[in-house]
Amino acid sequence: MTSDPHIKARRENIFVAIGVVFVVACLPLFVTDVYVQNVLVLTLMYAALSQSWNILSGFCGQISLGHALYFGTGAYVTELLFTKFGVAPWFGMPAGGLVAAVIAAAVGYPCFRLKGHYFVIATIVIAEAGYLLMLNWDYAGAAQGIDIPVRADSWAKFQFLRSKLPYFYFALGFAFVAWLVTYMIEESRWSYWWRAAKDNADAAESLGVDVFRSKMAAAALSAFLTAVGGGFYAQFVSYIDPESVMGFQFSLLMALPAVLGGLGTLWGPAVGAGILIPLTELTRSFAGGSGKGLDLIIYGLLVMGIALGRPEGIVGAVTKRARKGRP
Amino acid sequence: MDDGKEREPRMKLNRREIMTGAAVLAAAPRVARAQGAGEILIGAVFPMTGSTAQTGLDAKNAIETAAAIINDKTDLDLPLARGAGLPGFGGAKVRVIYADHQGDPQKGRAEAERLITQEKAVALIGCYHSAVSATVSQTAERYALPFMCADSSSPSLSRRGLKFFFRASAHDEMFSSAMFDLMDSLRAKGQKIETLALFHEDTIFGADSANVQTKLAGERGYRIACDVKYRANSPSLTTEVQQIKSAAADVLMPSSYTTDGILLVRTMNELGYKPRAIVAQAAGFSEQALYDAVGDLLHGAITRGSFSLDLAQKRPMVARVNDLFKARAGKDLNDNSAREFMALIVLADGVNRAGTTDGEAIRAALTATDIPGDRTIMPWKGVRFDATGQNNGCDPVLLQYDGRKFVTVFPLLAAISEPVWPMNS
Repeated sequence: MTSDPHIKARRENIFVAIGVVFVVACLPLFVTDVYVQNVLVLTLMYAALSQSWNILSGFCGQISLGHALYFGTGAYVTELLFTKFGVAPWFGMPAGGLVAAVIAAAVGYPCFRLKGHYFVIATIVIAEAGYLLMLNWDYAGAAQGIDIPVRADSWAKFQFLRSKLPYFYFALGFAFVAWLVTYMIEESRWSYWWRAAKDNADAAESLGVDVFRSKMAAAALSAFLTAVGGGFYAQFVSYIDPESVMGFQFSLLMALPAVLGGLGTLWGPAVGAGILIPLTELTRSFAGGSGKGLDLIIYGLLVMGIALGRPEGIVGAVTKRARKGRP
Repeated sequence: MDDGKEREPRMKLNRREIMTGAAVLAAAPRVARAQGAGEILIGAVFPMTGSTAQTGLDAKNAIETAAAIINDKTDLDLPLARGAGLPGFGGAKVRVIYADHQGDPQKGRAEAERLITQEKAVALIGCYHSAVSATVSQTAERYALPFMCADSSSPSLSRRGLKFFFRASAHDEMFSSAMFDLMDSLRAKGQKIETLALFHEDTIFGADSANVQTKLAGERGYRIACDVKYRANSPSLTTEVQQIKSAAADVLMPSSYTTDGILLVRTMNELGYKPRAIVAQAAGFSEQALYDAVGDLLHGAITRGSFSLDLAQKRPMVARVNDLFKARAGKDLNDNSAREFMALIVLADGVNRAGTTDGEAIRAALTATDIPGDRTIMPWKGVRFDATGQNNGCDPVLLQYDGRKFVTVFPLLAAISEPVWPMNS
């Protein structure tokens, strides 16, 4: 393979991404309904979160089902700083990211010695421990959570009474940044190390890859981005409690779009989130009030269908077919 | 990395999908908005799926019962019951649209927004989970229309300075106060009640309950012999029960949901611990399932509640409303469904007096609410909202399990017999 088509493909990717961002950025011109805008915000947020998760779990192969810990850390750091010290979320979100990155490194230090399923179980257990900690920490509201008062629209405080547009553009920017980070590291030495470590850690180690440190870097980066998303979510919802930001379901919700779209691919998380999130939101809204659980049945069937029919994810299936069709 | 060319057509398709999706989405609300003339729409946000789905379905039946009473002519002595529809709107019918929040504050907020902006709901009702009521009430505040908190009892909800928050039923402090009022009255009659054992789960419900009980015990001169907090849905409570057994308090005060309550009672039995008295913070202890499982061990247990079917003996209307509910739900009204029923009656009364769908006007009408207790199905003094939107005339009741059913034993207004104390006497 020469570098020429390769560079061309990379360049095309960035053009496509800019095109997608431009089109999505224009959507509010046509979509004025706040409910639909709300779905768009969530879709973009989960695209970004899943992209962050994909860095550690897709590229580096360390499947984490405990990312709710970092999500919750971001949410809590942002809101504790905001409600207790009056620090604007613009500083709170990166602060939450840094705290989460440190936690990820501290968690990774012992846990990256575990392999396969043992690592997955460790991430679940540690996230659960974090959840219990927040549930009992009175200063942080314990089980009552933190209610974030919203009295007026304010860019400084990043809160808006009715308008969804500021949240929408932040989420779009966040999703693009997460994509861009993945895009840049995809070609970096780190990414090759991660993939080598993912395929065969011992072989990679013997060839001079610093497996342990590269895993730590992936974990810290992934946690940082996830926590920024957590801070954003807290501002968006204006209320957090341990269950709503650190529950196990968040760990799954971050993993699902990437798995559906294509694990360890550049476009997988965005494609997965673009399908999953509108589907869950719309089925709940238009079928959920009946109390018959129809929305969850539809959702479950879709996930089962993908798992059985396209276990490699949508992006994987599409590229495979494209390769087959090539002379 | 040779697949760049093929990405282009795929992305085009994806983009087209997004656009089509957006177009469909934008069109959908218009359809939903087409509503019948002469209808007043009220949005109800409850858990319709998940572990608390049954509560949501019961809520729907309770609210539908209330809507039917408002919309049809009846001879019940409830506000709006005697005429058909809302006279303030020329007899317009009340229609309630339900949404599912799945116990998630974010989903509750999104559904509330949808009900307000797409369905044009003039007010909201909800939400069972206190955490969801927190975000839904905030959304109602942003859109300047009233939120009637039907059955969330966290005291903090009415203390956030919200203008559009209303709660006709009691919050946890009032519930706990009633429990202490009962113990005070028994003390006055010469019973020895000095020490309490608190036993509570660790989510918002148990934590709130224990906080208030600790505060009240201090104020009224009771000693906390032990305060045992346990992990909700714990597989074993042996250590915890050992603790309360060795504390040997005069009263055991559990705040537990159904499964934990069953485990607590069974473990106490296994360890041979018979408390002198149990005064429970409802939840599991007002659920039939718990008494079906361990009822024979709970002879004489007391629990607080908002509602009692015994009231029918003094106010026959209660039995008739219960029959209407039972025809829909196949069960009797309970603590939760009775509160949900009253929430729609009180809210509709406010909307009717406002005579307009303007949020500010409905809010003003609700603050002027004055419904006497005997025009409700509850053992309340009445419905009048204070500056925080809380009704302070909603006295809870204490119910004692006599081995077959609950008997109201406190307060005097609603009681039909004296409490048996200690429980096993």
